[in-house]
Amino acid sequence: MNLLDPQTIAPWFIKVVGSLGLSAFWTQLIWDVIGSVSLVLFAIVSILFIVWLERKFAARVQDRLGPNRVGPYGLLQTIADTIKLLTKEDITPATADRVSYNIAPILAVFSVFMVMVVIPFAKGVSGADLNVGVLYITAVSSLGIMAALMAGWSSDNKYALIGGFRVVAQLLSYEVPMVMAMVSVVLVSGSMSLQKIVGAQAGGRWFFWVMPAVFLLYLTTALAENERTPFDLLEADSEIVAGYHIEYGGIKFAWFFLTFFLNTLFLASFAATFFLGGWRGPFAEQVPILGFVYYFLKTTLVIFFMMWVRATWPRLRIDQMMSFAWKVLVPTSLVLVMITAIILKLGLSPFWETGLLLISNLAVILVVLGFLGRALRLGIERPKRRVVA
Amino acid sequence: MTITMPSVSLMPYLPEIILLVTALLVLLVDTVWGDKRWLVWLAFLGTLVSGVAVWWLAQGPTLQLQDMLTADAYALFIDMVVLIVAAISLLLAYDWLIEHNEQQGEYVALLLFATVGMMTMGAAINVVTIFVALEILSLSLYILTGFARERLTSGEAALKYFLLGAFASAFFLYGAALLYGSSGHLDLIGIGQNLGTGGLMAGAGVALLLVGFSFKVALAPFHMWTPDVYQGAPTSVSAFMSVGAKAAGFAAFLRFFQVALAGSYAQWGPALAALAVLTMTWGNLAALRQESLKRLLAYSSIAHAGYALVGLAAGNSLGSSGLLFYLLAYAFMNLGAFGVAIMLEKPGSGDVMMSSLRGTSRQHPLLAATMAVFMFSLAGVPPLAGFFGKLYVFGAAVEANMAWLAIVGVINSALSAYYYLRVTVLMYMRDEEAGEEEVAVSKPPVLVFALVVALFFVVIVGLWPSVWMQMAQQAALIFG
Amino acid sequence: MVMRVVFVVVSLFTLVMAFMVVSHPTLFSSALYLVATFLGVAGLYVLLEADFLAVVQVMIYVGAVSILIIFAIMLSRGMMGKRTSSHNRQAKWVALASLLLAILLLYFITVLMRWPAVQAGPVPAGAIQMLGQDLVGRYVVPFEVASVLLLVALVGAIVLAREREI
Repeated sequence: MNLLDPQTIAPWFIKVVGSLGLSAFWTQLIWDVIGSVSLVLFAIVSILFIVWLERKFAARVQDRLGPNRVGPYGLLQTIADTIKLLTKEDITPATADRVSYNIAPILAVFSVFMVMVVIPFAKGVSGADLNVGVLYITAVSSLGIMAALMAGWSSDNKYALIGGFRVVAQLLSYEVPMVMAMVSVVLVSGSMSLQKIVGAQAGGRWFFWVMPAVFLLYLTTALAENERTPFDLLEADSEIVAGYHIEYGGIKFAWFFLTFFLNTLFLASFAATFFLGGWRGPFAEQVPILGFVYYFLKTTLVIFFMMWVRATWPRLRIDQMMSFAWKVLVPTSLVLVMITAIILKLGLSPFWETGLLLISNLAVILVVLGFLGRALRLGIERPKRRVVA
Repeated sequence: MTITMPSVSLMPYLPEIILLVTALLVLLVDTVWGDKRWLVWLAFLGTLVSGVAVWWLAQGPTLQLQDMLTADAYALFIDMVVLIVAAISLLLAYDWLIEHNEQQGEYVALLLFATVGMMTMGAAINVVTIFVALEILSLSLYILTGFARERLTSGEAALKYFLLGAFASAFFLYGAALLYGSSGHLDLIGIGQNLGTGGLMAGAGVALLLVGFSFKVALAPFHMWTPDVYQGAPTSVSAFMSVGAKAAGFAAFLRFFQVALAGSYAQWGPALAALAVLTMTWGNLAALRQESLKRLLAYSSIAHAGYALVGLAAGNSLGSSGLLFYLLAYAFMNLGAFGVAIMLEKPGSGDVMMSSLRGTSRQHPLLAATMAVFMFSLAGVPPLAGFFGKLYVFGAAVEANMAWLAIVGVINSALSAYYYLRVTVLMYMRDEEAGEEEVAVSKPPVLVFALVVALFFVVIVGLWPSVWMQMAQQAALIFG
Repeated sequence: MVMRVVFVVVSLFTLVMAFMVVSHPTLFSSALYLVATFLGVAGLYVLLEADFLAVVQVMIYVGAVSILIIFAIMLSRGMMGKRTSSHNRQAKWVALASLLLAILLLYFITVLMRWPAVQAGPVPAGAIQMLGQDLVGRYVVPFEVASVLLLVALVGAIVLAREREI
């Protein structure tokens, strides 16, 4: 086994366990179980850290100290909170629909964990390199919507129900431009497999440089899909208290909490994978273990961006949010997909192809910003006109 | 990895593509242009250009797109019928749209989309294509039916049509699946060659497909939706779907049975004959007692579906060409009859009662005469278009040793004459009480023009049937 | 052997869920069971090594169709949580008829039909590419015309749902 190359771990393990006299089937099964458990553990441990990070970061932005009592720099605060949540009484409202009420949090977490399978952590290292990876991500994440809907309905609470409505309206609306952004990436890289998408970004040709407009589009929709400010209407405290999980407490609430941050993690790692070259970096090919480091660095960068937005931006109104999705993002994403497809169809040399993609993306950004600016100015003027009339 | 794109020539689909582009243009122009009248004229122009494309395709060799679509003489004949129907329907709807003043662009676009669906059905040689085309046609018609949103009956009709239509589509799809299971093919020729003796699964598949088709062309006992839908829908829509959907439905119906099931005529021939008898008798008997003109026309359209089916049940080439001729003749006379109904309609009511027809001839002699011509033609009085349609299909039945079917058809025609003549008599009746009452009639020029066109063709097709029959025969030649 | 057990379990799950869809008194729960049924079907696709179809099944039927159904149920007032009986007085006879039909069909399918035994080969590599090429090659007309169908549905939905301009 070469410790620097994680790809060699699996064959080494299978050889070692196989020499103990177990059949190939059981060896594979044990290896799969170990793999899944470590994936899940990795995710949960990172969440503990991310939650702490977010609280600390938001505190700094708002000129506070943030958690600082439990452990050094408050590092153990999240663990304490988790223990508190896990030991709380498990409550089910009397009028709730028991089955859906209890299944919803499980389904929510389940759907995000399933997404983990396809993340490429390093060269040749991912749970399963599906050749329909991107499609799989979209399919599985739609289960999350289902979970939120179930939670909202089964709680038998008006606020929860409105939260459920908002989930469907927002997540479905923003899923369209998000998938379109992914389609652009798939078009350029020529594959839906995430490892191959990372592979297509060799030589520093990160898609971030090639398609900045698509990257921005993806980031915006990721904020919305993650129910983060400025799109956090699903749980807008001042409007619907907490949204679809208002009736949940204790461990069941912990599941939803976990789902939220897992979503952050995964959306950020997909941003890193699709646009920032995934595990790519200096010497990542030669020393594959470095891939983990690059992957984490890039993901954390994106997460930081999301936290920054959350800590500083106000919330959109629901009609603004919907019209932003359907009148700005969806047309933009369609235009981007068409531009990308046409440029790829021209059959240019890689240099010109990249250049043309970059230029057209920048042009799209300029045009969209121009339109947005004009719409904003008009929007500010409109009430005046009405008064005159 | 390189992906080679298969090269496909869309030329055989040219007429439909022209119409599609027109529909999209209509939607686009609708958002920027204030004067909605131009939308109708734009669409009208689109149908004309598409017609030119059909004519151009007819000059060259037969084009075919994989095993999905063809532009043979048969498809082009159906294209012609459907395009004429669409053009006249646009003119019929013109004044209603202007007056209705709501969503004109969508109406025109949906009508064009429905036309595309109809044309595609005529050209389809694959069950998948037939199904998709059928769905385009049906969806557009569901929505058009509910277009008069100020009337509850319109919405009710749309919902009823939609629910029953969805069932029919499901039947069709299930039948297609069973046929695929038993033959391993979806294209009609492949099904025909591989069905063999058929067997249980194929039989069930054909039966289910038959249900789907029967619903679309309103054959008894799958006609229940027809009266309500035709009555509730805006009259211009009733006119359009009563002829357009019927033509398209019969086009695919005929092609399917003649191409895919040519070998098993002995099984389906008698079944279709029985269906034809049931349909025309049911339609005619129910039409006798209708007090609403639109309902009467609805039942009459059911009866006509029965007559047309005779041509299919006969299974010979005269039957096929007779059916095609029938569709053409029926298009003109029924569009005309509905056009008169639009004129007589009281604003906002969406329907014409028989009692309000009294004394029309005194104040509007020309209109009454026009209606009389359409009614005579529908009843099958020589020398109008309807007469020759019936002559050909009944002749085909006799030729196929189904004289009894022809006799039933003739008896039914005599029966139908009663209610068609009743309309005429009412219009010409000099009722002392009701006679002095003003009969409200609007005669906008575009509508008048559309009526004149329909009238002209009813007479022309009646006087020189051989020209049209030759075209129909040419089209039916593809069945060999 | 393992595959067979898995197949039986997945099929049973799908069937039971499908039965719950039609028999559950709450409309919303029926919709949720429908989701489970769709997931079961996706599982069957996986067993048939049609990964792509399975993913598409989940994406379209669970991610889009069911959510739309549920949304429609949530939006139509009076449906929420109300236990609407899905049966009327003829329920007994319908159940009997369905049972008879099911037995008949089973008899036909398993005894009367001579199913040709198809030797299932391995799924060819690049099956998705082949599917994609067929969609823009052989099936280009139905594929493209289906987009017209979607456009019609879109326009129609707007026509029917738009507020009336007075």
